[in-house]
Amino acid sequence: MPTQTTQSPGPLATSTRPALSGRGLVKRYGAQHALAGVDIDIQPGEAVAIVGPSGSGKTSLLHVLAGILPADSGEVLLAGTRIDHLGKAKRSELRRTEFGFVFQSGMLVAELSAEENAALPLLLGGVSRGQALADARQWLDRLGLAGKGARRPGELSGGEAQRVAIARALAHQPSVIFADEPTGALDTRTGRDTMNALLGAAAENGAAVVIVTHDRDLAESVPRMVTIRDGRIATGVTGS
Amino acid sequence: MNSFRLALRVLRGDRRTRTSAILTGLGVAVATGLVLLLVSLPFATEARGERSTWQEPSYGSGEDGPATLSLASSEDYTGGDKITRVDVAPLTDPGSIALPPGVGKLPAPGEVLLSPELARLADGMPGSQLGERFGGDVVGTLGEDALKFPGQLVALVGHDADDMPVTAFQQNGFALGGAEQDPLLQLLAGVGVVVLIVPSLVLVASSARLIAARRERRLAALRLAGATPRQVISMVSAETAIAAVGGALLGAAASPLLHKLATFVPWDGGTWQASDFQLPLGVAIPVVLLMPALVLLAAVLGLRRVMWTPLGATGSHERKPLHWWRLLSLPLAGLFFAVVVSTAEDEMGMMLVLLGLALIVASAALVGPWVTSAIGGIFGRIWRRPSVLLAGRRLRDDPKGAYRASAGVVLAVFTGSMALTLMPSFESMAGSSSPFRDSVLYVPTDAARAERIVAETNATLERYGQRERAIGVGEVVLAKGENSGQQALVLDCERAEGLLRLDMAGACAGTPGVYSEYPMELNGVTVSAEWGTQGVPLPADTPVRPFEVTGEDMYSTAIIDPAVLPEGVSPSEVTVAVPTTQANREVVRTALAAAAGGAQIESREMRIWDQQTQLSDLRRVTVIGLVAAAVLSGCSAAIATAGSVMDRRRTFGALIAAGTPVRVLARALRTEAAMPALVATIGAGVVGVLVAIGLYSLVEEESSVVLTPWIAAPVVLGAGVAVLAASVCRPALNRVRAEPLADE
Repeated sequence: MPTQTTQSPGPLATSTRPALSGRGLVKRYGAQHALAGVDIDIQPGEAVAIVGPSGSGKTSLLHVLAGILPADSGEVLLAGTRIDHLGKAKRSELRRTEFGFVFQSGMLVAELSAEENAALPLLLGGVSRGQALADARQWLDRLGLAGKGARRPGELSGGEAQRVAIARALAHQPSVIFADEPTGALDTRTGRDTMNALLGAAAENGAAVVIVTHDRDLAESVPRMVTIRDGRIATGVTGS
Repeated sequence: MNSFRLALRVLRGDRRTRTSAILTGLGVAVATGLVLLLVSLPFATEARGERSTWQEPSYGSGEDGPATLSLASSEDYTGGDKITRVDVAPLTDPGSIALPPGVGKLPAPGEVLLSPELARLADGMPGSQLGERFGGDVVGTLGEDALKFPGQLVALVGHDADDMPVTAFQQNGFALGGAEQDPLLQLLAGVGVVVLIVPSLVLVASSARLIAARRERRLAALRLAGATPRQVISMVSAETAIAAVGGALLGAAASPLLHKLATFVPWDGGTWQASDFQLPLGVAIPVVLLMPALVLLAAVLGLRRVMWTPLGATGSHERKPLHWWRLLSLPLAGLFFAVVVSTAEDEMGMMLVLLGLALIVASAALVGPWVTSAIGGIFGRIWRRPSVLLAGRRLRDDPKGAYRASAGVVLAVFTGSMALTLMPSFESMAGSSSPFRDSVLYVPTDAARAERIVAETNATLERYGQRERAIGVGEVVLAKGENSGQQALVLDCERAEGLLRLDMAGACAGTPGVYSEYPMELNGVTVSAEWGTQGVPLPADTPVRPFEVTGEDMYSTAIIDPAVLPEGVSPSEVTVAVPTTQANREVVRTALAAAAGGAQIESREMRIWDQQTQLSDLRRVTVIGLVAAAVLSGCSAAIATAGSVMDRRRTFGALIAAGTPVRVLARALRTEAAMPALVATIGAGVVGVLVAIGLYSLVEEESSVVLTPWIAAPVVLGAGVAVLAASVCRPALNRVRAEPLADE
């Protein structure tokens, strides 16, 4: 089995139980192996960058770990509890309560304001309208978007929209945040600022972060980097 | 690579574009098929008329040559089915009279030709029930070419010229050709084109929406890459043309099947021959060309934003709020309609009424989006659940798009409510002012013929073993001065009570006299056989006794007992009347018909039945039209809902990936799709009823509109269709859930 090299453990690497683990994960699309037996542990509060060339399987790994796609074989454990065999509804609930997501281009709901976008996970979790909007406003303020809560995504810059997405991912205080190419549509400086905002906010919240990116510079700013190639974990490099 | 090849490559490579093209093609096919059918309806009635003009007197003839034929046309009934009876007598050498197609020979006196179905019926029952009505030997059958519709019951009866009924008309041979289109079907076809084409075109528009976002991005990328507007138009035209032209050809190819189905729908007493629906090529070809042309035009017009602001199309864009003045369009159109309805008197007035109707229909396109936006605004303020928030914001952001999906349903509900308000009102108008009871058969004729008809009918009734007897009811005029007078029937009191819709209220106990619904002063009253002739004074001591009319719609008539009819007054117009029972009606009809020799046998029951048949035709066609409109509207609304999911696939995918339950998104989409439709259908229902009241006032000023609970049916049906169509979002979202973050 290929080994995973971690040169810099995350801040909570000494915790006895990983926040999220993958064991022998296999995912096939037809005859092609997107994941060919991946083992990975992510500690609570740890930030991990998964890098690799296009088609290497990094996005598939993120989707399988997040329960968006089922693995063909292998196990996914959240704080030591298997989640891969849960039904669609349970997995959906888990993603809503335990995970947060940041996608490329934010993927915000165009018709909702920044504040409403950030409040959406809370509203879906049953939090009242007033409380959800107040919490969302606080998150936007923390991310430097004070006074911009009423704006629509179309009225925000790319970096601002991504920070709204980060607020949305963190608003319900998840234990793991998944970020798929979160700076892919941003210029270098805005990308770096956005990444810092994400890592900073997640660290404050004690959430682990799994970032998929093909940008090695960006990955090097993350404490731990895992390289994946041909569906297998390859040699890793130390983050800065 | 030219535009056509590029379009083909896109169609081959992209499944969603292919799906959209197929749905667009189907929408165009349905629209083309329906237009071809609806346009063919008036032609179909004309084709029917062409075959059956010979069955009617040719009142216009006379200028084209000397009279060679005496012809009388009348209607008879058997078991509720109408028989067209044509009595003919040659006035010249029978061999020189040109015969209509399907008529093998001109029957000689005492000979009868029957249509195949009438011959079958006559063979299957005793002569006293049907066969003996025609008073001759059946010498042949009429061909299909001589019949208005398959299965029409027709009897062609030969006579001597001096044996023809009083209504016979002398003409130059049979009337051949020159039939006109049925104006009612022309009107219905026109309404049908609008009611069915709008949802068909909405279906096409909804199909285009399936790929709207993706196509807009692709074309904007091409514009940014340097493609000229002309090139972009050319690419879109090629893409749309493949689907639209294919659809139009498919519709044209499938139209014979649709026409075949239409032949089974009865109208005016029977079904149709398959050839009736053949459209002249001069009409069919423009229709087939027009449909894809309209779709192409709509597609090109939809490109304005990409053409002029490609960057705007690729990025986000702010929607302008809808102006409040849109709301004024409906009351203004309503006001115009109310004014023209209240003042319409001539053909120009009717054109203005139709214009008013069109303005009301058009105003829905302005008011609907505004109402949709207002609903969105309300939701946006009062929301407590995320689904209501999402729906409200979407409705507020794109009210035109949200309303477009339900435009077809709204139009169907408007028309349905209008039809279901008018129809019971028309039904309430049905009736007959005849004074005879429903069960009485009667033949208006002259005095000389009446005597013979009474004698022959009674002889036949005796032979058939029936107790009923025919009597002649004369008509006279009770006049006072030169300008005042009233019709009176010559009947004794007991017979009047038995034959007429009257309650003699004990009047028969006294001596014979004059009977009237209203008080009468007989001083100076004269009795004459006809209007304008010298009358004979009634004795001043003639008693006048009142009676009560039991039929509301009966015309006013007085009754004069034969015993008090002054000498020298002999009615020239006489109606032969026979009471019947349910059991012996057909037999009595046979006895009367055989004696009447082609004169029209009437009965109030059959007249009302005839009116009901026409209303049934109208009701059937309306129901078929509305069901078709509902199905089409439902399909277009369902596709629009699916398109709405496709438009936002990436956002929904991200939300689902982040754990948003599909049921929350489905609820939002259902609310978004169904709520404007629900409000609009209720509004359309109310407006439909109001417009119907206006239209009814054109026909009947005095009686009020009959409102039944059925007027709510289109609203309920429309709302049901809207909710059902909105439920399509669930399977569409499930597809997204299967691969939430996959590329589009």
